[in-house]
Amino acid sequence: MTGKRTLTETRPVPPAPRPPRGAGLRRGLKALRVFMRSQPLGAAALLLICAFVLVALLAPWIAPYDPLEQFRRDILEPPTGAYLFGTDDLGRDVLSRTIHGARTSLIVGVTTTGVSLVLGTMIGVISGYFGRGLDLVVQRVMDSVQAIPGIVLLLFIAVILGPSVRNTIIALTVVITPSFNRIARAETLRVRQEPYVEAARATGAHAPRILALHVLPNMLASVLTLGSLIFAGVIIAESALSFLGIGAPPPTPSWGLMLSEGVRYVERAPWLIIVPSVALSIAVFSFNLLGDSLRDHLDPRLHRSAADRVTGLWWGRRMLSRLAPSLARATEENVSADVTTGGTPRPSEPPR
Amino acid sequence: MIGYTLRRLGYGVVVMCLVTIFVFVIMRLVPGDAVSLQLQDTGVSKEAADALRAEFGLDDPVWVQLWEWLAGAVRGDLGASFYNKEPVVDLFLARVPVTVQLGLLAMLVGTALGLTVGIIAAVTRGSVTDSALRVFAVAFLSVPNFVVALLLLTAFALWFAWSPPLVYAEPTEDFIGWAQQMAIPVFALGTGGMAAVARLTRSSMLESLGSDYIRTVRAKGVRERTVVLKHSLRNSTIAVLTLLGLELATVLGGTVIIERMFGLPGTGQLIYQAVLDRDYPVVVACTIFYAGLFVITIILIDLLYALVDPRIRTGKALS
Repeated sequence: MTGKRTLTETRPVPPAPRPPRGAGLRRGLKALRVFMRSQPLGAAALLLICAFVLVALLAPWIAPYDPLEQFRRDILEPPTGAYLFGTDDLGRDVLSRTIHGARTSLIVGVTTTGVSLVLGTMIGVISGYFGRGLDLVVQRVMDSVQAIPGIVLLLFIAVILGPSVRNTIIALTVVITPSFNRIARAETLRVRQEPYVEAARATGAHAPRILALHVLPNMLASVLTLGSLIFAGVIIAESALSFLGIGAPPPTPSWGLMLSEGVRYVERAPWLIIVPSVALSIAVFSFNLLGDSLRDHLDPRLHRSAADRVTGLWWGRRMLSRLAPSLARATEENVSADVTTGGTPRPSEPPR
Repeated sequence: MIGYTLRRLGYGVVVMCLVTIFVFVIMRLVPGDAVSLQLQDTGVSKEAADALRAEFGLDDPVWVQLWEWLAGAVRGDLGASFYNKEPVVDLFLARVPVTVQLGLLAMLVGTALGLTVGIIAAVTRGSVTDSALRVFAVAFLSVPNFVVALLLLTAFALWFAWSPPLVYAEPTEDFIGWAQQMAIPVFALGTGGMAAVARLTRSSMLESLGSDYIRTVRAKGVRERTVVLKHSLRNSTIAVLTLLGLELATVLGGTVIIERMFGLPGTGQLIYQAVLDRDYPVVVACTIFYAGLFVITIILIDLLYALVDPRIRTGKALS
């Protein structure tokens, strides 16, 4: 209480009863159940992702061999009982390398998505909430990071820092953060005009409180949906970088690296290509599918009114918002965010 | 509308300036420069290397280099490669045809297939065909294009003992060789676009097929084929064109891996090699070209939407 005087004297409102312990968890579980029931494909995707995470976490115990051990007598062995998916040109077990490759993908995916989600959301929320000059400057900088083609930026950073898993994460974070910034900013602009935010402001709540209690929870759905799609993009980008030789250095077990090492033996040992390709595709597929189902489930835009439909804006937004999985950089997401915020990333005037 | 257009163009110019500054600063952060890379095993004296640096202007502070580059760019001179002293513009233009062929063909294949799949899925909504086509579309969105290319290579090598020629041939000289080399890259790049176009076509056609004006058209007794192909499909055109615009910018900028895999001498190869060689003028020019392409596409799309929806240009899109 800041001791401000109000025009009409009111009785102090008793504090709301605290929700019982574990209520948040129970609500989360319920939301999960509802999601799984309404989106069977999403449930399947979640199962696949759980399997992927488990394989990655338990890699040392599941994998039949050490991924780096070279069985010099068994070079380019076709899939047999001893080596379920064959061996590569150095006699390493392809199955073990694929399983450990899931680990590399998961580490890069979780770290990159996590860091850029937090960073991008923070930048977007602050820039969108305070608006004006700050917003103008921050958004132009974000625009220009995004205008440089992703692969060029990745090349730059990889060349500056040298190829390693850590540097891949840094490079991808730089490239991806603007995407989260876009969506967080667009959502902030939407939420800050809502009556309840105005009400909170009128009762004297400070900006950090409004942001944490009203703005952030309301954008969680969109940010998480984008996060799932971005995760898929990160897995692709990680393997693409390793494939080009500027990502994880050999002998790290990474799917992209396995593919680039296997290209030379396409005719003699096709399993070197097929196994990592399938693993990579399934991982990406499950995250794309999850993101897609989440979007269908959570996006109120998909249940818009008929009046809104005829304007074309609605399906413009919707069609753009549905495309994100097609590109690692989720370019469309930004455009759709742009359209949502009024076509231009200009700071919106405070409501009068 | 004019004010809105000017403001968007203004932002575009600001973004391009920032991109230029970024590129210059980042290039400076890269350890080693073109001179030390070129001379590293030749045993040339330090004085000679310094003289070479002075010739390229590499010993100037970064803002002097930036200023000189801008001054040159305004006069239409984007500098010359450090390696073969060829003007960057010539180098770049020599590489453009391959990338453009690749990009346009891929988009053509993707759009044709995508429209077909999308229309079929929309018309057979809810049937097994529809579900199968949708899963197929998400699946194709999920396989990265270089993996599609690799799998195709493997399949052809295994089943037909065939692999594409390694040296690029101009279509005017050796059309068969060119077609053999382009087939897999075009298809690999096209599949991603196909899946995106298919999904978009399906959803926006479903949208219009359920609308009142289609009911009116049907009530008039128009043939179902005309209803679908003319009235409903036409309504999806802007959406698909927007997607294709975005796709074009990404396809042209994202062909680095495919071009490297298949030895195609396009702009992707040029920029990859230039970054590795620290060939600053080439990198700067290529990056700015791609960034410009991207910015222009985005501005055009925004303007297109503003044209369609007046609420956007007045800034009242938030409902």
